[in-house]
Amino acid sequence: MNKDTKHPEKDTIEVNWDDYLKAYYEKPQSAKSWSGYHLKEIYTPRDRPEENYEKDVADAGTYPFTRGIHKNMFRGRYWTKREVIGIGSPADTNERVRYLVEHGGSGLNTIADVTYEMGLDADHPWAANEVGLTGVNITSIKDMETLTKDIPLDKVSWSVITASTAASVSIAQYVSVAENNGFDLTKLRGSIQNDPIHFRYCGFRPACPLDLSIKLGSDVMEFCTRRLPQWYYTTVNMYDLREQGITAPQEVAFGFGIAMCYIDELIRRGLDIDEFAPRFTFYVSCHIDIFEEVAKIRAARRMWARLMKEKYGAKDPRSMQFRFAVHTAGCSLVPQQPLNNIVRIAYEGLAAVLGGVQSLHCCSYDEPMCLPTEKAHLQALRTQQILAYETGVTNVADPLGGSYYVEGLTDKIEEDSLKIMKQVEELGGMEEAIRTEWLDRQFEAEAVDRQKELNSSEKLVVGVNIFTSEQEKTTPLGVQRVPKQSAVQQVEDVKELKRTRNMDKLKDAIKRLRDDAEEGKNVIPPMVEATKAFGTTGELLGTVRQVFGYSYDPMEIIESPL
Amino acid sequence: MDKERKIKILVTKVGLDGHDRGAKVISSLFKEAGMEVIYLGMYQTPEAIIKAAVDEDVDVIGVSYLSGEHLIFTPKIVEEMKKSNLDDVLLIAGGTFPAEDIPVMKEMGIDEVFGAGSLTEPIIQYIHEHVREKR
Repeated sequence: MNKDTKHPEKDTIEVNWDDYLKAYYEKPQSAKSWSGYHLKEIYTPRDRPEENYEKDVADAGTYPFTRGIHKNMFRGRYWTKREVIGIGSPADTNERVRYLVEHGGSGLNTIADVTYEMGLDADHPWAANEVGLTGVNITSIKDMETLTKDIPLDKVSWSVITASTAASVSIAQYVSVAENNGFDLTKLRGSIQNDPIHFRYCGFRPACPLDLSIKLGSDVMEFCTRRLPQWYYTTVNMYDLREQGITAPQEVAFGFGIAMCYIDELIRRGLDIDEFAPRFTFYVSCHIDIFEEVAKIRAARRMWARLMKEKYGAKDPRSMQFRFAVHTAGCSLVPQQPLNNIVRIAYEGLAAVLGGVQSLHCCSYDEPMCLPTEKAHLQALRTQQILAYETGVTNVADPLGGSYYVEGLTDKIEEDSLKIMKQVEELGGMEEAIRTEWLDRQFEAEAVDRQKELNSSEKLVVGVNIFTSEQEKTTPLGVQRVPKQSAVQQVEDVKELKRTRNMDKLKDAIKRLRDDAEEGKNVIPPMVEATKAFGTTGELLGTVRQVFGYSYDPMEIIESPL
Repeated sequence: MDKERKIKILVTKVGLDGHDRGAKVISSLFKEAGMEVIYLGMYQTPEAIIKAAVDEDVDVIGVSYLSGEHLIFTPKIVEEMKKSNLDDVLLIAGGTFPAEDIPVMKEMGIDEVFGAGSLTEPIIQYIHEHVREKR
C-alpha cells in the first residue's frame, strides 16, 4: 500500500493482485486518537455511570455551556464566515477583502505581516525585503485609511489580526480612522487579536517581552472595555500554540493559562470580572481528528464556564460563555497532492461547526505553498458555504452531544487539561512557566514527537507516508505572488509622510505618550492622539519600549528620531 | 572528507520570519542522527549566516523558509557563500514554497530542497551521500 504510483499510461497499468488482496482485508493499524488517546471499540452508557446531565452537560445556552453558548445555536445566526486576508499593500488587501465580501464572506479578517507584528515601519532596514509578504504592514493611519477605504466601519464586523504588542498601535490606528471619518465608536464591531504573550512562541520575542506584553495587552483590553462596548478586545490564540505540535488537552490548558495572565492583570487594575469577561474570545485550532476536536471544544466550554464562575466569581452568564473562532489546522496540510487539502479543510471545518463555532476561517488548499490565490481563497469560502447551506449541520445544536464516545472524550480531555493547568500552577503559574522556558520545552518536545510519528508511520498522512506519488511540478490553481511594486510604493509613501508631517505636533503627542507610560497610565488614548499626528507604528511602540527599559527598535538598529 | 569526523551542519532561519518549528525539529533529529548541529535560530542575515558557517567550519548549511522570502534571500546567501569560497559546503533548504520555485531555487544555487511534509530519513540520507562528494 505504500508503493509509489508512477502515473502510468492506461495500457501499462500493472496491478499487483496480492497487494489488492491485502488492501481488501486491511484494517486500521492503530486505534489511537490524534492526541494519543487509546480508544475502546465501543462506548456505552456504562462508560459514564455517574453522568449528571444538568450539572455537567446541560442544554445549549445553559451553564456550564458544554453544548453551546446559545440555546438555538445556528438557527439564531450562522457562524461568521471569516477568511483571513493579508497580502502586499493595504490597497491590495482592501481589494481582496471587498472581493470576498462580494462572494458571501460575512466577516472581515485582515492579518498583519511580520514587519508590522515586529513593530517596524515599512521603511525600517529589516522591513525592506519583507513588507507585505505574509500580511499587511500598517505604518501610519494613512495605511489604515487605505486598508479600510470604502468600507462602512459601523456596519461591518472586522477581525484585526495583530497579535504582538503592536496590537496596541493597531487599535489606536483603527479608532483614529473611525473617529476621523465620523463613525460612532460604540457601533464598532469586531475584534483585535491582542495576545502578545502567546506571540513570543511565534517568533516575535523581541517585540513581546513578557512585562510589556501584559502591560500593553491589558491596556488594549481596558481601553476597549470602556470605549468600544461591542468590540472583542482579545482573541487568546490557542491555535498558534497547537500549531507548535502540541496535543488537544495541552492546547486548552496552555491557552487558558495565558488568558488568566491578562484576567489577573485586569482584576489587579480594579475592573470587575463581569465588566470585561463577556468580551473575552479565543482562537481555537481544528485539526483532522473530528471527534477529538469536537470533544476538545466542548471540554473548553465547560472548563471556561467553571473557571469564570468558581475561580473568578463571575455572576453574568455571558462572562462564563467560551466564545471562539476556529482556524482549521494549517500544520495538517501538505504540499504533496495539494488538492487533497480541500478535503482535510472540509473535515476540520465540519469539526468546528459540530463544536458550535462562532466564527470560522477555513484554510485555502494552497496554504503549504504560498499565500492564497484569489481562486483558492474563494474555494475556502465556498467550503464554508457548502457546510452552511447544503449539509444540514446547522439544524440542531450540539448534534454529537449524548454520544457515549464524544461525551466520554470530552470528560477525558477536560480531566487532562485540568491536570496540566494544575501542573502549571505548581510551577508558580503561567508567567513563571514562561519565564523559566518550561513552556518552550513542552513545545519543542511535542514537535519532535509529531515528526517522529510521521517518520515511523505511526500517524498516516496521504501523500507523505502513504499513497505517495511523484512530486508535483506545479500548483493546481496557480501561485499567489506578492506584487513587488506594492512594497516599493508603500516604503516610498512612508518616507514621504515622514518628510512632510508637522514635527512639532508629533513631538507634543509623543511626549504625552511618554509621560502617560511613565506614570503607569493606559497608553491607548495618547496613542490614538499620536497616530492622528502621523506618529508611526515604530515610533509609538518604540517610545513605550524605552519607558520600560527596552531598546527603541526591537532589531536594535535605529534610534528614536523623536 | 574525514570519515571519523561528525558531519557538522548549521541550521538557520533568515530574515524576520518566525516560523521555526521545522528548523528546531530538524535540528533535534540531525543531532539524533549523529550530526553536530549549530542552530543559529531566527533573525539572521545572509552575512551573519555565512560568517557563522566559516567560523564553525560546517559541512552543510540548512536554511528554513516559510513566508515567501525564499526567492529574496537565496541569491544573497549563495553570493555570500561565493565570497567566502564555501564551494565545498552543501546548501539545502526546507520549508514552505510553491513547487514551481524548487527548480528556481536550485538554479540559484541550492543543492537540494525539502519542502513541508518531508520525512526525515531522505534528508539525512541525502546529506550523507552528498556531503562527501562536496568536501
